[in-house]
Amino acid sequence: MSKLYLLALLSFPLAAFAQQPLPIQAPTPTAETHARWLEFLEPDATEAAYRTVAWRAEFWPAVLEARQLGRPVLFWAMNGHPLGCT
Amino acid sequence: MQKLAQQFVVVADEVYMLYPEDPGNLARVADNEAHRLFKSYGESMPAGAWNHPGSKQGIFMMGPSGEYLEGKATANGDPRDIEARLRRALQAWETLRKQKKYANRPVPAAVEAVPPEVAGKALILRASLRDLPRDGNAEAAAPSRWRRALGDSLGWRGFTQWAWNQNWIGFDEARVFVTGSAEPVAVDADVVRRLCREVLVDNVRGQAPWWDAAHVRKAALTMRRSKAGKVWRLEYVGEALLQDGERSYAARLRGDAEWDPQQQRFLRFELISLGDRRGAAQFNQRHDDPGPAPMGVALRLFTPPSKVPGTSR
Repeated sequence: MSKLYLLALLSFPLAAFAQQPLPIQAPTPTAETHARWLEFLEPDATEAAYRTVAWRAEFWPAVLEARQLGRPVLFWAMNGHPLGCT
Repeated sequence: MQKLAQQFVVVADEVYMLYPEDPGNLARVADNEAHRLFKSYGESMPAGAWNHPGSKQGIFMMGPSGEYLEGKATANGDPRDIEARLRRALQAWETLRKQKKYANRPVPAAVEAVPPEVAGKALILRASLRDLPRDGNAEAAAPSRWRRALGDSLGWRGFTQWAWNQNWIGFDEARVFVTGSAEPVAVDADVVRRLCREVLVDNVRGQAPWWDAAHVRKAALTMRRSKAGKVWRLEYVGEALLQDGERSYAARLRGDAEWDPQQQRFLRFELISLGDRRGAAQFNQRHDDPGPAPMGVALRLFTPPSKVPGTSR
């Protein structure tokens, strides 16, 4: 009985924590602010201009395509895929 | 710049897999034909341009057999420098293509690239994330790009002041985010945990690992149908707490979506996470910015084009 009591006592803070709203300082997203935050977080036209370039996402297939077309390759290389294709 | 780029087959890729910096992994790719071509190109660059030994991140222009045209490892992002290099590369290309009788056929447009891991999934979401204003009046400041001017004055580290990033996540079943209930019901717990582990990650400034399963302290998302009819309107509300020692992200989530029950597909899906991040990962450039500080993530439905515009592909 005492073990059960102890278990209940110990588990209470965890259970209570799981039910409590998190103490978050950042604004709360609401239906009223949804569109504004979407606009804020997503890239604007200037930031998204890279999407107007016909990026291929893998180096070797692009080289093979360049060979087939007889065209030069422009390669942007980074640690971490530049297009988020990780 | 875009017009100059159209003259090339343009590709962006992770370079560490192509030319690892550590000897062990370098030996592993030594016989890979892509590595050998890139290495051969790099070794034909002018002295100092290849940054060897060292990171092979950069901007590189080459002929189809890896011939050097222009480029620089660890190149900066100055658009004037990149434009000048593109022009020099095309000048060199004019000579090379005549010498080697390259066909020089037009470069077709490309379908917007998505990672192989999400290609073909029933539901593909593109995540955009960035820091939120820290002036205590965040909602009033949105959606201005609040610290761009400051960033411009800080040299290459200035990007930390305006950085944003993009990630992807795909799901085999779109219906996991659909309910006919007008009362809130829980989205499948495994789905929510996966979303939180893979997307609510602070890689605004640089790479950070996904959260492990053990790091998920809370991951809850409810959904309800707020409007029925030919197009259902769905709403989502949730909370997340992810923690790994000093590193954490605690956020509230809210979303809207439109579902076509006849075609069984989303017409619109938007989910926003606003929260507080703390700590740093090895490569995410937060060591001088441990927080707590606000960070947001926006997920939006991505519909891949069915074919390349203007081509038969």
